[in-house]
Amino acid sequence: MVELEIGQEVEMEFGGSAQVLSVIGSGGQGTVYLVRFNGMKWALKWYDIDKMKNPKAFRKNIETNINDGPPSNKFLWPKYLTKEMPDGTFGYIMELKPDGFDSFVDILNTYKLEIDPLTGHAVKRDIRFTSLTAMITAVINIVNAFRQLHRAGKSYQDLNDGGFFINVNTGAVLVCDCDNIAPDGSNFGIGGKPGYMAPEIVRGIAQPNVQTDKYSLAVVLFKLLFRGDPMEGEKVVRDVCLTEASELKHYGQNAVFVYDPNNASNRPVRGIHDNVIKFWRIYPDYIKDAFIRSFTVGIDEPSKRIIENEWQKMFIRLRSEIIMCGCGRTNFTSMFAQPTEKTFKCPKCGMEFTSLGFSNRESRMPLFLGCKFYDCEITPESDDFTTVAGELVENKLKAGMLGIKNCSERTWKAKMPDGEFYDITPGKGFPIWQGLEIDFGAIKAQM
Amino acid sequence: MSNEMITDAAKEAMDGFEPAESANEKKQMDNMLDFDDDPLSATGVSRKSLVIFFLIDTSGSMKGKKMGELNTVMEELIPEIRKVGEADTEVKVAVLTFSTDVKWMYSTPIPIEDFEWARLRANGVTSMGAAFKELNLRMSRNSFLNSPSLSFAPVIFLMTDGYPSDDYKEGLKELQANSWYKFGLKAALGIGNEANDDVLAEFTGSADTVVHAYSGGQLAQMIKIIAVTSSQIGSKSMTLSDDSGREIGEEDVFAAKQKLLGQQIQELVGSKVEANDVPFDTGW
Repeated sequence: MVELEIGQEVEMEFGGSAQVLSVIGSGGQGTVYLVRFNGMKWALKWYDIDKMKNPKAFRKNIETNINDGPPSNKFLWPKYLTKEMPDGTFGYIMELKPDGFDSFVDILNTYKLEIDPLTGHAVKRDIRFTSLTAMITAVINIVNAFRQLHRAGKSYQDLNDGGFFINVNTGAVLVCDCDNIAPDGSNFGIGGKPGYMAPEIVRGIAQPNVQTDKYSLAVVLFKLLFRGDPMEGEKVVRDVCLTEASELKHYGQNAVFVYDPNNASNRPVRGIHDNVIKFWRIYPDYIKDAFIRSFTVGIDEPSKRIIENEWQKMFIRLRSEIIMCGCGRTNFTSMFAQPTEKTFKCPKCGMEFTSLGFSNRESRMPLFLGCKFYDCEITPESDDFTTVAGELVENKLKAGMLGIKNCSERTWKAKMPDGEFYDITPGKGFPIWQGLEIDFGAIKAQM
Repeated sequence: MSNEMITDAAKEAMDGFEPAESANEKKQMDNMLDFDDDPLSATGVSRKSLVIFFLIDTSGSMKGKKMGELNTVMEELIPEIRKVGEADTEVKVAVLTFSTDVKWMYSTPIPIEDFEWARLRANGVTSMGAAFKELNLRMSRNSFLNSPSLSFAPVIFLMTDGYPSDDYKEGLKELQANSWYKFGLKAALGIGNEANDDVLAEFTGSADTVVHAYSGGQLAQMIKIIAVTSSQIGSKSMTLSDDSGREIGEEDVFAAKQKLLGQQIQELVGSKVEANDVPFDTGW
């Protein structure tokens, strides 16, 4: 391959040139450089075309993607192509990853190695989500990004742990390595990694497409929540050495989910898979059932895999079931006792929480100071899971009185303790009380 | 009063305090609390481990420039390999030197984050066969490869500048019966004119993974190419290409990584021949 020199000028397709400043990293398909173009810093991905089956078609696909534009702002999308070198080598530039985002790999490892430039010694920096809400929001963002991509008729093809950056404070997600994204059904020769690839690709009997993306997405979600590999249990560990043949077996020909209810041969092993064992006890059944379906019937029947919209609904529900208890314990309602149909009780400190029931769903939302609900939860067909619609706050003038503040831009109606409904305009609020009813428009809620 | 009694007393007090709690609910609540239930507190995902073995000839003929180059490049190499491993594999390094005696640099494989190169000195004869035997002994679940979780097959990198002075064939025969060796990624570097590429190919199992350095500049380059490429391939799952068009069988993937290593080494070496470098053997 033709490597670029620091300081070298690379001509861009539509004029101007990018100056190579340094190497950012290298991967299976080529090298990423930091470059300056038009007075701004960019990342330049420069291909090793010797490793490509059909560089012309690959380039054409990137060109199409550039013209189509990203499905949303969650993608670090190719921006401009370079000219081809005489030998056909080329690259493209994209925006740099903004500060504040950590790679998915580092999040899974729970730390990042930072190398002291002077001594070369490596120092570990802890990386973890700062709140449970941020973590579940990250999950929703990942699912939503793939939903948008698939709705644009494209598939990601090479979904793996190197493909995301996440902000651990907010749950914001950036999908990178977008150069293999292709119209569903076409493929430009990307290989893949067992473990993330759908079993049918590992076995060589299918090419990456939207259905195989769905399998990889389930793996990514499982890894993020359960912090382990869905297919690595006793059966795999017994092999000791992971040879090529054992990878083919355990991720392709004979993949068995660690919690397959009908096959206990591959259960997680204590001492190695402690995360999975622990988190399997924490998550509610509807989440576990979705993973069971993905990794049992979903192995052989791609059409039975969970679709993104289902994941999105499930995780929006899960986020609304988080309770931050006054004693410091934060968990899902499934990990709280339920003394009555409408209340939750902290097993640690005994504090009780009332809840709100919505007309469009069966699950109830626990109420605690600071809890929020979002536009998609009170508006039918809304996909907006980031705009806060309402929040439980303390009345600024009457200490100790809790109520819900209308943070949306629409007027709601709420039943007050006098039995009458009042208009609640944006910015206003109402106290929570036993007979509370709220009319959001199409959706209603009551205590 | 024992701790247990205090706990019991506290429980009784609690029970008295909350008489309304149903037995069922209490059991349910105890179940929720008998483990660390914090959804955010996780340990790192269990990583696969990879041990990189360096087998280094420290016989007298390595004295001077060769050993100087080797020590320098190995020091520089460690940070580069660190980058390779940080993703999803825990990389450890073990260095076995052989001259008249066979000696490990450290008594166990050291994680790459903590590894520090101890400069080597050259002296004595080339006991390569003894080194193979020692490697065979240590490449075992009960010895150097004792990670409780899954391992990738090890990377084994041999560097020598001369013909073995002992019966290397006997040592190699023992080694060849070792499964870790069989599935391992093997590469070798011959240094100067005396090193015998045939012996090295016997060790690696193929000529593709044997390269030769005739000068200091080449030595540094070749060590980097082999060590970085083999640890990159060794620390990851096999890469699949999707052009087979039929179901892949075990025979298709057998030694797939070793083949890939051979290809990549040949590509990289082919592009880096420098003519102006002074050979080790001239200018004396």
